[in-house]
Amino acid sequence: MADLTEELEDESSEEGESMTAAEVLQKLEEAWLNEKFSPDLLEIKNDIVDCMLEQIKEMEENIRRAKKGDFRVGIHKMEIDRIRYFISSYLRTRLQKIEKYTAHVLEQEKARGSDETPQMSPDEYTFAKEYSENMENHFKVLALRHMPPNLQALDPKHTVMRPNLDSYVFLRVNEDTAGVLVEEETAEAGEEVIDLEKGDQLIIRYRPVATLVESGAVGLI
Amino acid sequence: MSMDPAEVEFLAEKTMGEIGPFSPSLPVDVPLWMALNLKQRQKCRIQPPEWMDVEALEEVKQKETDDKFFTAMPSNHYMEITQLLMKYAPEDIPRADQIRTLIKDIWDLRNAKLRSSIDVFVRSDVTHAKLNHLTPMEINTARPFLTRALDQMHMLRTNTQTGLKQTQE
Repeated sequence: MADLTEELEDESSEEGESMTAAEVLQKLEEAWLNEKFSPDLLEIKNDIVDCMLEQIKEMEENIRRAKKGDFRVGIHKMEIDRIRYFISSYLRTRLQKIEKYTAHVLEQEKARGSDETPQMSPDEYTFAKEYSENMENHFKVLALRHMPPNLQALDPKHTVMRPNLDSYVFLRVNEDTAGVLVEEETAEAGEEVIDLEKGDQLIIRYRPVATLVESGAVGLI
Repeated sequence: MSMDPAEVEFLAEKTMGEIGPFSPSLPVDVPLWMALNLKQRQKCRIQPPEWMDVEALEEVKQKETDDKFFTAMPSNHYMEITQLLMKYAPEDIPRADQIRTLIKDIWDLRNAKLRSSIDVFVRSDVTHAKLNHLTPMEINTARPFLTRALDQMHMLRTNTQTGLKQTQE
C-alpha cells in the first residue's frame, strides 16, 4: 500500500495482531483465490476477515475526521470499496458452495474433531442447517407427501451432492514440497510422484494437493 | 470455480507504479487503481513502468519468439496494465502506438503457444503439467476449456479401470 494510505491509516492494534494491514490484505487475497478455485469448501479464515473488517471501520473513522473536500477522502473510499469487494466475494463464494453441497458440508463439519478448527463460521453453520431444513421441508411439502408411502424418504446416500475433488486446478507453488503423490498405482500405470519447486505453476487434479492448499504450501491461481 | 477477466484486472490494479506529483513535482509510488483514479481527476501524471519501453519490449518479443516454452514476462499483469494505461493515460506514455503493437504481438505469440500446448496435453493424455511463466490473464483465458477437458479425460481414464462413476457434478 502507498505511503499516503499508511500515514492516514492507523496501525492495526488488535491483541495478538502482529501483521501489518498490507500483509493481512495479501492473505485475504490468497484466501479469496483459493476459495474461488477449489471445488471443496476450505477452512474459514475468520481472523483475516475480522481483521479486515476492523481495518475498514478504522478507515471509515478517518474519513469522517478528515476535512471535507480533501481529495484523499475519495481515495480512502475507493480503498475501502476494494477491500469490501474482496471480503464479500470471498464470503459469497463460500455461501454458493454451502448451498450447492449443503448435506456434504454439514457431514464434514460434524465429523471434525473438537480440537480442529471449524470449517465454517458459526453464522455459516447456522445458515447451512437452516437451508438444509428448508430444502427438506420444501421437498416434503411440494412432492414427497404426495408420493406412495414407501418412497417418501430421501435417502442421503443417493441424494448428497459431493464436490468433484478430481477437478483440475491451476496452482502456484509457495514452498518447495517433494514427493507429492499425483496418481495412485493402478493396473496400467505405476504411481506418479512429483517434486514441487517454489515458483512453479502447474495444472493438476485438486485431490492430491488439497492438504497443501489448506496449509498454504501451494496457492490456487 | 471461475474468474471474470474483470476480476483479473481488479487484481492487476494492485500493481504499484509511480505517479507525480502529490506535493508538486515529487514522484510517488501508488497502486495502479489509485493512479488511474487521480489521473481521471486530472491530479497527476503517470510514469509508465520501466519495462514499457519500445527497445525493452522488442527484446522480450524476440526472446519469446526464440524460446519454445514461455519466457518470464516483465510483469505478471503486463496485458492488463498496458490496456489500463493506454485507456486512461496514453499521453503519458512515449511511443504508445508502437508499445501497443508490441504488447499485442507478444500476447498473440504466447496465446498461440498456449493453444498448441493445450492441443499436446489433450492428445497425450497427461495427468498434470508445468506452466511456469504464464500470467494470470493467460491462464484465465485457457481455464474453462483446459480444466473441463482434463476433467473429462480423468473420468474416462478412471472409468476404464473401475467401471464405476462416483462423483456427481
